Amino acid sequence: MENQERTLTEKESLALITQMINKAKDSFYDTGLSSILWGCVIAFCSLEKLAEIQFGYRLPFDIYLLTFVAIIPQIFISLQEKKYKKAKSYNDSLIENLWFAFGISILLMMFVVNSVFAAWTPVFEDYQKLAAHPPSFRFYEFVLPLFLILYGLPTFVAGIGYKFKPMVLGGILCWICCVIAVYTPIKIDLLLTAFSAVCAWLIPGIMIRSEFKKAKQENV
Amino acid sequence: MFKDLDPILHSQLRLAVISLLISVKEAEFTFLKEKTNSTAGNLSVQIQKLKEAGYIDIVKQFRNNYPQTICRITQLGVIAFEEYVKSLQTYLGNGNGHENGVGH
Repeated sequence: MENQERTLTEKESLALITQMINKAKDSFYDTGLSSILWGCVIAFCSLEKLAEIQFGYRLPFDIYLLTFVAIIPQIFISLQEKKYKKAKSYNDSLIENLWFAFGISILLMMFVVNSVFAAWTPVFEDYQKLAAHPPSFRFYEFVLPLFLILYGLPTFVAGIGYKFKPMVLGGILCWICCVIAVYTPIKIDLLLTAFSAVCAWLIPGIMIRSEFKKAKQENV
Repeated sequence: MFKDLDPILHSQLRLAVISLLISVKEAEFTFLKEKTNSTAGNLSVQIQKLKEAGYIDIVKQFRNNYPQTICRITQLGVIAFEEYVKSLQTYLGNGNGHENGVGH
């Protein structure tokens, strides 16, 4: 752009405004690493849990605790992305808060589910003693569909916000899997959860990553 | 009667900066420089003029030991930009635009 303050014609002004607004829109910065991380972590945890049930062994800890460990690389990824992000759009800000709210909702859901389990266990035991067989209602069969509702929400909204179809479809898939998981046994629920994580986060993450690398190479 | 276009905004680089800032929540100086293809010196002068007019806020800080300048459009800047676009549309809508700029 020229060094002097050139006066523009009206048409030039409008063209410049349009050009700059489009340039600002193109400044989307995402390495895709967060999506890949969470897609891998949730898929791995679900498949490992499935293996525990299938092969009758138990780890000394709940594999889902790995999600808390994954917060450490997530913080590192977020700090790195922040370092390279030269502009923050209103969309970025909104979606950042959406994922933060998702994290809080997941924690609250864990708290509620554990509370229900704690309250349900004595009822379950009493029933088993009196009826001499376990009740047909198993609360844990409904836990994963609850989480799938939550997985779908930010994925769908973020996909819409960034106009990124694979994520929109991933979010919808989480909700479809949620409905199916209500009618399927826990082993299938775990498979559906792993499948949802791969489709909603891992695959879109890999696509974003490849776009990011391509853009980086073009800028070199 | 046509209102004169805001002279603060009716300049190539300042209008480019405001158009970028209207689209984002905040932007670093380097982002503005890269998108407008301007020199650091010229950009500094122009964003200072926008700041003096109250159209943008400038925050200077350090990140990883490097100075960082962050610019944000103010409410006044948003109003001025909207007024400017409305005036442009009025001029163009009435076929009164001319090649040498308006109001100068």
